[in-house]
Amino acid sequence: MKKFFDKENFVLSSFDPKARRQSLVLSLLLIFFFAIAAFTFFNMLYCFADVVGSIVSGSPDVAILDFLRSLPVFLTFFMTLWGLLLLHAFFRNVSEERRIHSLKKDATTILSFAGLNIVYILSRTVSGAYLSLVEGSPSALYPLDALLYSLLFVAIGVLALVYAKKWQDKLPYVVPSRGPIVKRARFVYCLFVTFWMLFALYGFGAFWIGLFIIDFLHGYLFFSIALLLVFLVNFLFLAVWEFYFNELKEEKRKEFLLPLSLVGLGCSAVTAVIYFIALGNNLDGPSNVGFGVLPVAFAASVNIATLLLVATPVIVSIVALVKGLLARKALKAAE
Amino acid sequence: MNKKLLLVLLPLASIALTGCGEKKYAEHLEDYVRTMTYHDKFNILQLTDIHWNNNTSTMASKRYLEKTLAEADRHIKETQGPNAKIDLIELTGDQFMLANAYHIGAFIEFFEAKAVQYGFQYASIWGNHDRHGIYNPNYLADEFRKAEHSIYVEEEDDLYGRSNFVINLTADGTKNSATKWQLANLDSGASFSESAAAPFRDYDYIRPDQTEWWIQEHNAVGKATPAIAYYHIPQDENLTAWNDIHKNGAAYKHKFFKLEGFGDNGNPQYASDFLDRAVDEGHNLKGAFMGHAHNVDWTVEYQGVVLGLGVKTGPELYYAHIDPADQDPNTQEGLASVGINEKFDLIGASLVTLVNEGGTFELEHLYLNERASGDFVRWVKW
Repeated sequence: MKKFFDKENFVLSSFDPKARRQSLVLSLLLIFFFAIAAFTFFNMLYCFADVVGSIVSGSPDVAILDFLRSLPVFLTFFMTLWGLLLLHAFFRNVSEERRIHSLKKDATTILSFAGLNIVYILSRTVSGAYLSLVEGSPSALYPLDALLYSLLFVAIGVLALVYAKKWQDKLPYVVPSRGPIVKRARFVYCLFVTFWMLFALYGFGAFWIGLFIIDFLHGYLFFSIALLLVFLVNFLFLAVWEFYFNELKEEKRKEFLLPLSLVGLGCSAVTAVIYFIALGNNLDGPSNVGFGVLPVAFAASVNIATLLLVATPVIVSIVALVKGLLARKALKAAE
Repeated sequence: MNKKLLLVLLPLASIALTGCGEKKYAEHLEDYVRTMTYHDKFNILQLTDIHWNNNTSTMASKRYLEKTLAEADRHIKETQGPNAKIDLIELTGDQFMLANAYHIGAFIEFFEAKAVQYGFQYASIWGNHDRHGIYNPNYLADEFRKAEHSIYVEEEDDLYGRSNFVINLTADGTKNSATKWQLANLDSGASFSESAAAPFRDYDYIRPDQTEWWIQEHNAVGKATPAIAYYHIPQDENLTAWNDIHKNGAAYKHKFFKLEGFGDNGNPQYASDFLDRAVDEGHNLKGAFMGHAHNVDWTVEYQGVVLGLGVKTGPELYYAHIDPADQDPNTQEGLASVGINEKFDLIGASLVTLVNEGGTFELEHLYLNERASGDFVRWVKW
């Protein structure tokens, strides 16, 4: 157990205090962006689930009107998500050239989303499609709050571009801790990580929101706890990957992947078993205590979204297990 | 762990996990009762499936609700005299869906202001979607409980559901005088899984303990007292009556539109005993009104009880566009029953007027559509 936390296993051990501070600042920024991305994701899912609800109920006209009204909510999520991607790409890339490229590309995307949002909100307000700049819903200040949020992201995008231009010859940040993604697997890798991240964002948002909105008082305590556990496991796996696994030195990543995946598989399997036992004993539990944190599940009156949440950590663990076995085989072959 | 500590913690844990130790509803039936003063021509406006959600323009929705209330008030005064008014609003579920605390606050603030303006009280019943928001369900219950003009009861006991309560309309508005009419409000739940592995969820239904609770509440005022029930999810009888008419040629009185399924549970295993027991045991249940299926306001007299879905209120989520050119037989049947021969949307409200103590009531459906060229407004009598 001790060897998993040996300082010498981590990339940062070979860098100076200044570089470690830089890494800490980036880690904190990543956590911050992850948190706000999770909550904006939840807000967007609520709008999305309602739009889908209108479509499946045979009212596409209502769905279109609702989507057009709530487009700023969708764009707000995407600009926040790109903020998260920008930080991750900058943090986790050993190629300086590639980091500058990502920084510019992601900053431009953020500016596009934010700019579009500002123009869209103002044009709808001027045209009367919004009855007021504080028309109300999802918040009392909507769409003004979305407008101000977009302005903030314009500032973030501009700052990122200025930073990239100023330091394009020599970046002051010196402690990347993860190699570039191999080209042949880039698409599959990115797709997998994107889906995993979305589930993790959902898990993070649902866990924290769930703590406040799940009704623990009406006889469904075991189910409520099991549900929170499902959410927790979904984002904890991503957190371990980002803040533990990616901080390891290359050779340690190969060595630790197999045992980590086995622990992950055990945790996710136990969580799944607990969830199904809890659900089996509380078949009306979800709708009575926890459907607020399962917006997609309820929208079609299906359990599938919950089942996906239970399955995702299992799938992630199995993928890690396969990669771990391959890495172990490669290490043995090298010996 | 210390053995003594274990002895204390184990029973506490079992209470927390099983919900044992709850009060029994039958031991405090009087806590479920609220009263209002009865008078002939007591007007109950049913608003259903308002569905405030993240995509709702609350400003636009409030404008629609204001028009609906103003039209109902105008119509009541025109037909019953200047002193007549909306006495009670029954909100029959799905006031919210995918909403948050902001929506709850704005909604109650609106109804409080209108209650003062028009002089009504309002009772709120849970729909399946009211559970689906970024708020603790207890918060929603507390907000309705606290609001000055709201009638809302939710007891912590072994009775299934949340908003189960009766409003007894008495001679002097207190529990000390005879009940002239009883309004039963039941929480028809949301949904449940038949098994842990079931991919789909079934709509909930009025459970046997809820029926038994109402039977006892009604017995308490005398089962000859006329009663009307309000709940959200239609039960099995609506479909049974529809099939009796359309497949077996039954001659029940029926009217209005059925343009989709009733959205009931549909499984005979989960058929509610609510109407069966009310009828079989001789309770004077005159009507049962619900919501849930937005494209349906079909009403039928079945086993001596008028069963009907209220007209969906406002344009959120989905609603039917009625077009006389549509050759769908159900559309044509509905159009023929209401005598309207132009395009309109199936949104508005429903008005029940308790005519007298003898159990006579009138029902009217209001279709109200906002239009740039002038709003479409039609009242259709049952």
